[in-house]
Amino acid sequence: MKRLWTSLAALLILALVIGACAAPAPPAAAPAEEPAPAEEAEPAQEEAPAAEGAPAVDMVLLPKFLGILVFDQAYQGAQEAHQEIGNPGKLEFLGPTPENSVQGQIEIVTTAATQGMDAIMISNNAGDQIVPAAKAAKEAGMTVVTWDSPIPSAEGEDLFVAQVDFDETGKVMAEMALSILGEDGGKLAILSASPDAANQNAWNAAFQEVLETDPKYANLELVDLVYGNDQSEDSYNQALALVDKYPDLELIMAPTTVGIAAAAKAMQDEGLCDKVKVSGLGLPAEMVSYTLNGCAPEFALWSFKDLGYLTYYVTYLLATGQIEAQEGVTFEAGRMGSYTIEKDPTRDRGLRVLMGPFTIYTAENVEEAAK
Amino acid sequence: MRDIGSYLRSWEGLLLVLVLAVMGFNALQTPYYLRLANQINLFTLSIEKVMVALVMALIIINAEIDLSVASIMGLAACVLAYLHSQGVSVAVGILAGLAVGLLAGAFNGFWIAYVGLPSLAVTLAGLIGYRGAARILLEDRSITDFPEWFNRLGQEGLVGPVPLSLLLFLLLVGLTVIGLQRSAFGRYVYAIGNNRDAARYSGVDVRWIKMQLFMASGLVSALAGLLLAARLGAVRGNTAEGFELDIITMVLLGGVSIFGGSGSMVGVVLAILLVLNLRNGMSLLNITGNTQTGVIGVLLILSVLAPNGVQMVRERWRRRPTTQQG
Repeated sequence: MKRLWTSLAALLILALVIGACAAPAPPAAAPAEEPAPAEEAEPAQEEAPAAEGAPAVDMVLLPKFLGILVFDQAYQGAQEAHQEIGNPGKLEFLGPTPENSVQGQIEIVTTAATQGMDAIMISNNAGDQIVPAAKAAKEAGMTVVTWDSPIPSAEGEDLFVAQVDFDETGKVMAEMALSILGEDGGKLAILSASPDAANQNAWNAAFQEVLETDPKYANLELVDLVYGNDQSEDSYNQALALVDKYPDLELIMAPTTVGIAAAAKAMQDEGLCDKVKVSGLGLPAEMVSYTLNGCAPEFALWSFKDLGYLTYYVTYLLATGQIEAQEGVTFEAGRMGSYTIEKDPTRDRGLRVLMGPFTIYTAENVEEAAK
Repeated sequence: MRDIGSYLRSWEGLLLVLVLAVMGFNALQTPYYLRLANQINLFTLSIEKVMVALVMALIIINAEIDLSVASIMGLAACVLAYLHSQGVSVAVGILAGLAVGLLAGAFNGFWIAYVGLPSLAVTLAGLIGYRGAARILLEDRSITDFPEWFNRLGQEGLVGPVPLSLLLFLLLVGLTVIGLQRSAFGRYVYAIGNNRDAARYSGVDVRWIKMQLFMASGLVSALAGLLLAARLGAVRGNTAEGFELDIITMVLLGGVSIFGGSGSMVGVVLAILLVLNLRNGMSLLNITGNTQTGVIGVLLILSVLAPNGVQMVRERWRRRPTTQQG
């Protein structure tokens, strides 16, 4: 026993020594880090050997959680903008796990402020619970931009980069349904994600409203709305159940990337593709085979890569003080052209930049996009 | 008895070495770690969980478990938010939230202590039931417009930069250490955890001790839920969902046996420090998501395997000479 304690004591002393050696390190390292947010006052000479002398801005891209293809694509877009601008600062892609999304996002925003990062781009999955952390980050001098999913109350946020207008989603879905079913129309059903998803509900409502109010779509008959909870197996079974329930069903519209792929697979597996088509919002990489074999001849999505690119641009311009987050301000976002900051009509408060539009994928362009 | 004692001491020693090593590593690796603001953030980001973990340690040492803690946290926060949305003052809402937590704990305790149902089953029902009640209260709404003083209490320093939640945590550390390690109550908790029947025959009021523990767990969970509401400035039906696993993880890592009867508050506090410092260090080094979860998962596996492995080896060692003699 004595031996064990002696060795433990030795380890302890070792640990203390390491700790003690570590202590003086921060003051030495800290000054080197401090000048980062020097912004436009000086053209950040010691940090920026880049040719154009772009000011250094350390940025964090925070997705809802890691391991989802569309968020990786948004990161690709952000990286493209990062290189194009020649920002000598860092771009970090940090995210929580799905089951720890809310606490994880709060922790990452708080830590980014501690680290002296200059800007954070959040696809918010924490509702208003992120507000105190976002506010604290802003107070620490950070630029806080949301993308994909905003802060509901807009508190603590500079602006929101919206992918598409929610009303636009309804119109695009109706247009695709008409193009698949033709002028004579037919019966269709919606396969949605979950009844709790705010964006899904908004899209379904917009879709239903267009079908009811626009005489152009009078022959399209919506017979049911079911939920597959964004689980492949659930969605697959729900799609098959729809076919059983409505023998003359001709189209399943799924405004979710999980639902549309599962429904298309279900129709393909059952050999029903000639009778029942699938459409909605989908990822080219997941949908390419179903589009080519005719199960899902047409579907739509916005580009997450472009969303990441645009988000990076506007955040960089805000962080360097080249533009202000105010209604009516116009800016150039590289290859994507000119955008204007506007009041967000979907929230009581807050500003947004609307990216849009949808890309419609068919057999002609899906292979190119799936690469 | 002496064997267990020395093993415990060495487990705590190992934890202490690990904590110091992680602290030293963090300090060497990132200049932000030692800053006061970060040291406070390190605690406040998980403060609600670690408060509940302190009481959970007492319950597990007593050979029981409380799976309903996170649901009680959520329920207390939702009661406060619901009352606030109905125009009731926040002060009354806080008292109501604490009362609901105490009642929920007493309800658990009644079935476990006086009816004799297994705590695993009762508190599993509580996990689902109290969460259900929380969701019924708020449905899909998010309540946010709490008064400024309430938000400030959760988000800003009370004494200098130290927030109320951290002060309450330190107070609770003191209370649980004295309660478990230095009082008759604590000795009864160990005795019941070791052998419930023996404790009863020697005149310990087993039922009342268990009842008190579950009531304390409900009350502290409710307090933690209210602090979480103040820190986030927002309450939803899913507030604190899933926290119970992190809480139990920290207790087991602290060397508390899942079968009851052994463990110490010092070990639990060290395990809390270890997890928090590890998390903070990884976050500062931009290691997030699955890697972070993975590292802490491996740590827990080791903490469960290591003592059991040591025990198995010891038992074999002991048996061998006896079988040879026979």
